[in-house]
Amino acid sequence: MASIKVPEQKVILCGEYGVGKSSLFRRYAYDTFISSSSRKSTLGLDNFNKEYKVDDRSIQMQLWDTGGMERVASITSSYYKFAEAAILVFSLDNAASFHVLSQHLLEIVTYAENAKIFLCGNKSDLEGTTPQVTEADMENFCEQCHNLISSTYKTSCKTGEGVEEMFADIGRQLILSNRSRLELQTMGAGGIGTDSFKLGGRGSEEGEVAEPPCLC
Amino acid sequence: MDEEYDAIVLGTGLKECILSGMLSVSGKKVLHIDRNKYYGGESASITPLEELFSKFGSTLPDEVTFGRGRDWNVDLIPKFLMANGSLVKLLIHTGVTRYLEFKSVEGSYVFKGGKISKVPVDQKEALASDLMGLFEKRRFRNFLVYIQEFSEADPKTWKDINPQSATTAQLYDKFGLDPNTKDFTGHALALYRDDEYINDLAIHTIRRIKLYSDSLARYGKSPYLYPMYGLGELPQSFARLSAIYGGTYMLDKPVDEIVIENGKVVGVRSGTEIARCKQVYCDPSYVQDRVKKLNQVIRCICLMDHPIPNTKDALSCQIIIPQKQVNRKSDIYVSLVSYTHQVSAKGWFIAMVSTTVETDNPELEIKPGLDLLGSYKKKFVTVSDYYEPTDLGTESQIFISTSYDATTHFETVCTDVVNLFKRGTGEDFDFSKIKLEEEAS
Ligand SMILES: Nc1nc2c(ncn2[C@@H]2O[C@H](COP(=O)(O)OP(=O)(O)O)[C@@H](O)[C@H]2O)c(=O)[nH]1
Ligand SMILES: [Mg+2]
Repeated sequence: MASIKVPEQKVILCGEYGVGKSSLFRRYAYDTFISSSSRKSTLGLDNFNKEYKVDDRSIQMQLWDTGGMERVASITSSYYKFAEAAILVFSLDNAASFHVLSQHLLEIVTYAENAKIFLCGNKSDLEGTTPQVTEADMENFCEQCHNLISSTYKTSCKTGEGVEEMFADIGRQLILSNRSRLELQTMGAGGIGTDSFKLGGRGSEEGEVAEPPCLC
Repeated sequence: MDEEYDAIVLGTGLKECILSGMLSVSGKKVLHIDRNKYYGGESASITPLEELFSKFGSTLPDEVTFGRGRDWNVDLIPKFLMANGSLVKLLIHTGVTRYLEFKSVEGSYVFKGGKISKVPVDQKEALASDLMGLFEKRRFRNFLVYIQEFSEADPKTWKDINPQSATTAQLYDKFGLDPNTKDFTGHALALYRDDEYINDLAIHTIRRIKLYSDSLARYGKSPYLYPMYGLGELPQSFARLSAIYGGTYMLDKPVDEIVIENGKVVGVRSGTEIARCKQVYCDPSYVQDRVKKLNQVIRCICLMDHPIPNTKDALSCQIIIPQKQVNRKSDIYVSLVSYTHQVSAKGWFIAMVSTTVETDNPELEIKPGLDLLGSYKKKFVTVSDYYEPTDLGTESQIFISTSYDATTHFETVCTDVVNLFKRGTGEDFDFSKIKLEEEAS
């Protein structure tokens, strides 16, 4: 059959344009940093798989970038579907990017209601001595949203500081919470809904026909 | 917005989103605008349920509880994907399939002599089927074997009929099929909407039956697939493809004028802003003066708290009512999806009855379909005009898609898109252009 059950855990990046989501994605995927925000930087690529392990348990974390849709329009609701976790990203040198997070949070709980949610203050290298967003601000935010946020992190894509630590910690939490997709689906709206599948990958559609058709 | 683009696409319906994706992938600089604040236009799945009620000018009633409103994603245009059809191929070749999950539709039924029968999917079902008598079953089997062994490239398999010149009627007669079987074949397998195909070339009918049986062979239960969370996921996924290849999206943006100079489009105006471009691709609603109305399609959405009677409690299915059975010219289609696709609250079903309008009382026309549903808790009816562009866009460089027709699948959608792309770019779409950044560098 052409169907495959995908064991990946989908993790999405959310937040304003320019806070460094694609940079986090880039660090995660290739451990590189590009200082210009060239739009071409994520051309054609919007998700990347990586394995994380705790003892003998492992997951394929599949990180998703927005594809820059948030630049002018809103992100499609389908971006959120099937997400097991969402990382709310803001820029530590830009208070406005922090204050709109409740907006993004609302989208997450609407379209990916069972996703674990994490908070990430990026560009920590630009923080300086008078931070635009303090740790107290971050704590307050978490309290205000009824502790929906599982953990908070500070990262710098420029120096790399805190980035791998964040993804490793999120991977660890996903493994420990041990929620399988099956469980998530049963918790979800429709209840039963476990036999859905992805269509075969590119090029693989040939030669999958199991047996000759028989209407007769 | 005040920039110059290769192409501006207006409307985020499925056709426009596929086009936008194809154009971006081909290296064109694309601006994609929708006047609505959501993606999908007519191809959107409406959510939450309150939104559907308000779209039809009503509000959620107090007496029926439809469950949680945001568990609903209701399509306005009912269609299924043929498992081996062009849209599936397009999804796979563009990699857009990675955004989507599907379920196989549980069964396909056909209306005959006042009741519905399952379209057989294997020999066992065929033998047990009451669709035709024993002798007719044998003739029909010979016909299907012929189709299965038929290869366009190999004239030996054509036997003594030339499908490139013979009509479908001649093909049927060669196998001695009776009128009932012809009806079943043309409408339930070849999925023709009316009987004009009878005089069309046999090869067209053969291709369509092959599509049906190849699709059926994929997942076994029926030839159809349906995406989780509704059809609205499809345009969104292609929009995403366009975006990751550099396409810019603007929603909630009124389109006030398509700016023409010397008979050719040069831009699109919204308020005082003008985005300049070489080409425009759009749906008919953005260019009312460049389209003509051909006919109308009636679609009726029914919210029900039970499956359709006599379908073995299928959580999804299709029923075809061939035109002759109810003295019409075009078939009536019934489709059913449900909570198992995350398109309704737990325990709820969404049935759609649709057909091409033939009289001035379209609601009466779909009654045979509604009668099959049993009871429903709420009904929403739309009658929409079917438009076609008045010209090919060669001069104006405005390329207009046709409205969505009454067919139950996406084959005509893909044909239209491929034609538009070719008309606009002068090229066939090159799938090898779709490369990830990694492969490209
Ligand atoms: N100094 C500094 N700049 C960063 C950092 N992360 C991202 N940037 C820059 O911020 C800009 C926007 O980043 P990008 O990843 O495209 O943001 P996105 O719109 O959220 O995807 C780019 O110019 C990046 O180089 C960081 O940690 N420190
Ligand atoms: Mg980005």
